Amino acid sequence: MTWQKKHWVVALISIVMVVAVIVVSLQWSRKNVSQLAQRHNSTLVPLIMIPGSSATENRFDSLVKTLNVNRRNPHSLLKIRVAKNDHLTFSGQIRPRDHAPIVVVGFENNQDGYSNIKNQARQFNIAFKALNERLSFSRFEVVGHSNGGLIFTVFLEKDYSQYANEVQVTKLMTIGSPFNFNERSINNKTQMLSDLIKNRRELPTNLNVYSVAGTKNYTSDGIVPLTSVMASRYVFQGQVKHFTTMTVSGSDAQHSDLPQNRQIVSLINNYMLTAKRRYRVRPNEPELH
Amino acid sequence: MNRLLMLTASAYRSKVVQITEQTFQLLFPVILLGSSAEVLQFVFLTASGYVATIFNVPQWLPFDRELSVLMGTVYHCTLGMVGLYGAYGTSYFTVKVYRRQSSPSAGLIGLLAFLMIAFQPRNGGRVAFNPPLMAEGLLVGMLVGYVCGRILIAFKNQQTNWGQMMWRLALIFALAISVNLLMSYLRRTGALSVLVISGPQPTSGHPLTFVLMMGALTELLSWIGIGGPFTASPTFTDPASIANLNHALKAGSPWNAPHLYTDTTLFHSFANFGGNGVMLALIIAILIFSKQAGSRTVSKWSIFPAVFNSHYAMMVGIPVLFNPIFLLPFVLVPVVNMTIAAMFLALHWLPAAVYPVPAGTPGPLIAFLGTNGNWASLLLGIFLIAIDVLMYVPFIKLAERVQKSAGELK
Repeated sequence: MTWQKKHWVVALISIVMVVAVIVVSLQWSRKNVSQLAQRHNSTLVPLIMIPGSSATENRFDSLVKTLNVNRRNPHSLLKIRVAKNDHLTFSGQIRPRDHAPIVVVGFENNQDGYSNIKNQARQFNIAFKALNERLSFSRFEVVGHSNGGLIFTVFLEKDYSQYANEVQVTKLMTIGSPFNFNERSINNKTQMLSDLIKNRRELPTNLNVYSVAGTKNYTSDGIVPLTSVMASRYVFQGQVKHFTTMTVSGSDAQHSDLPQNRQIVSLINNYMLTAKRRYRVRPNEPELH
Repeated sequence: MNRLLMLTASAYRSKVVQITEQTFQLLFPVILLGSSAEVLQFVFLTASGYVATIFNVPQWLPFDRELSVLMGTVYHCTLGMVGLYGAYGTSYFTVKVYRRQSSPSAGLIGLLAFLMIAFQPRNGGRVAFNPPLMAEGLLVGMLVGYVCGRILIAFKNQQTNWGQMMWRLALIFALAISVNLLMSYLRRTGALSVLVISGPQPTSGHPLTFVLMMGALTELLSWIGIGGPFTASPTFTDPASIANLNHALKAGSPWNAPHLYTDTTLFHSFANFGGNGVMLALIIAILIFSKQAGSRTVSKWSIFPAVFNSHYAMMVGIPVLFNPIFLLPFVLVPVVNMTIAAMFLALHWLPAAVYPVPAGTPGPLIAFLGTNGNWASLLLGIFLIAIDVLMYVPFIKLAERVQKSAGELK
C-alpha cells in the first residue's frame, strides 16, 4: 500500500468512527435530558391550601401540626395573606430541600357569596403568580376547605390556562365545598354552579379530584347539604382524570371541624403529599488534568 | 527579525533551557503513561466518565473495578506526583549540564529535598504529602531540583570528599525543611489564600469580561504548570450552571438560559479542546504542517489523552510548558475561541450549553451534548478548531526555525 493510500484509509476509518461516536452520544444525550427533565419535574411539589369563608390564613395551623407529628422532615408552612387592595403579605418560611412545603393562601375579604368568590379567585391568581415566581415549581397540589375549593375551581376554569404549559396541578381535594351553596336539590342550580358547569371544559384533563364531605346527619354536615357537596360531580366527573367522592362521619365531622378531623388528616397524608423525593443531578466529580 | 531569531536561538542554548529540555525528555514517557492511565480510569472505567456512560462499559466489561484500581495506581504514581520526577530530573541534569557529568545521587538529593518540602506531619504516624504540590507541583519541583543542583555544583570539590558532601546535604535539607515550615506557617495564618483564585462567578463587572480574563489566567497558569481558576472539565455544580439547567429543564429547551457567559458555556464548550490551550489544534497542526519527526511522534502519542482533554503529554513532549514561543498562541487561541462563541451566543445563533456532560467528553462534543444535540454548536466547534490550527502554524514554523538555528550555533 502506498503512503497516500494508507492515509486515505486512516482518514476514512476515523471519519466513520467519529460519526458513529456522535450518533451514539446524541442518543445518550436525548435520553439523559428527558430523564433529567422528568426528575426535575418531580422536585418541588407544594401543597396549596385555601381556607373557607370567615377564616384567615391561620386556619390550617393545627392541621399542619398534626400532619407533621412524628415526621423526620416536617412540611414547612408558608402563609400568604391577600389584603383587600391585592397587597400580598408573606409569613413563615420554606426549609431548604423541603420538597413538599405547605402554602396557605388566606384573604382579608373572606365573606361568603358568589361575587366575593370570583374576587377571591382573582386575588388567588395574583398570589399564585407571585408564589410561582418565588418557588419556581412545575407541579402543585391543592386542598380547599369549604369556599376554598370553590375559589380554586373558579381559578382553574378562568386563569389556570395561562400557566398550564409550565405548571401543572395534579391533585385537588375539596373538603365540604358547597358547589350548590345551600340548595338541597340539584334541580335548583345556583348561578355559580351553572357557570362552573358551563366552563368545565377548561378544567385540566390530567387532574385527580377528591371531593370529601362531612356528615352530621344523613343529609348535611350541619351547614352544607350533602347534595351541595356532591354537586361537584357535575363539574368534574367525565372531565378530569379521576373523580372520587368520600364521606366522613363520626366525631369532628361537622363542617367547621373538618380540617381537624383525623380521618381527613390521614386522607391528606395518603392521597396528597405523595410526590417522590428529589433526585440530585450527579456532579461530574473526577477532575482531569 | 533575524536578530531576534538569533537571540532566541542563543537563549535556546542557555543552560537553563538545556536542563528543562532534558528533564522534559526524561518526563515525557512517565507523563504520557500517567495521562493515558488517568483517561482510562476516569473516562473509560468510572461510571461518570464519557466512554463509560455512552457505551455502558462497567456493565459488560469483566474486572472493570480491578482495571480501574490498576489505572488509578498508575496515574497516582506518575502524573499524580509529577513534581517528584521534575525535582529528580532537574537536579540530575543541572549537575550534568554544568559539570558535563552527573551521578544519580544528584537526582536523588533533589527528590529528597522536594519530598521534605511536600511532607505534612499527620497524627498517628501516617505519612502524608501536600496533595496540590504533588500533582500540580512541576514548577515547584523543577525549581527545587535546580536550586539543589546549583548548590551541589557550587562547591568545587570532588564528590569523594565525604565531609564536603555531608555539608552540602545538610544545607539543602535545612533549606527544604525551612521552606516546608514557612509554607505551613503561611497556610495556618491564611496568607496563602490570597493565591487561591476561586469562584466561577463574577462579583462585579460584566460576566463576559470576567470569563475571558479568568480563561486567559487559567491558560497562563497552565503554561507554567499550575492549575488555574477554571477546572479541567466542567463540573456543572456552580450556581450559574444549576440555574441554567433548571431553566432549560423547565422550558424544555436550552435557549434563553439566564447565564449566557460562564466557564461552562464558553471556556469548556469552545476553548478547551484537548485541554488548556486547545492542544488538539496544536496536534493537528503539527501532524499536517510539521516535518520534524520528533514532534510528529510526540503528537501521535498524545492524541489519545488529548481527545479526552488531557493535555499534559503534549505540554511536556513538544514542549509547550515554559516555552516562550508557544505562550502567545497558548493564551490567545482560547480567548479568540471564547470571543467568537460569545458573539454567536449574544446574537442568539446558538443556545448555551446547559445540560451536564460526562467527565472527559471530547472538547468539540461538550457544546453539542450540552445543548442536547444542537448541530450549529458542533459545526462552530469544528470551525474553531480549523481556525486554531491555522493560528498555531506560524508558531510551529517559528519553533522549528529557532531550533534549527540553535542547532547551527552548536
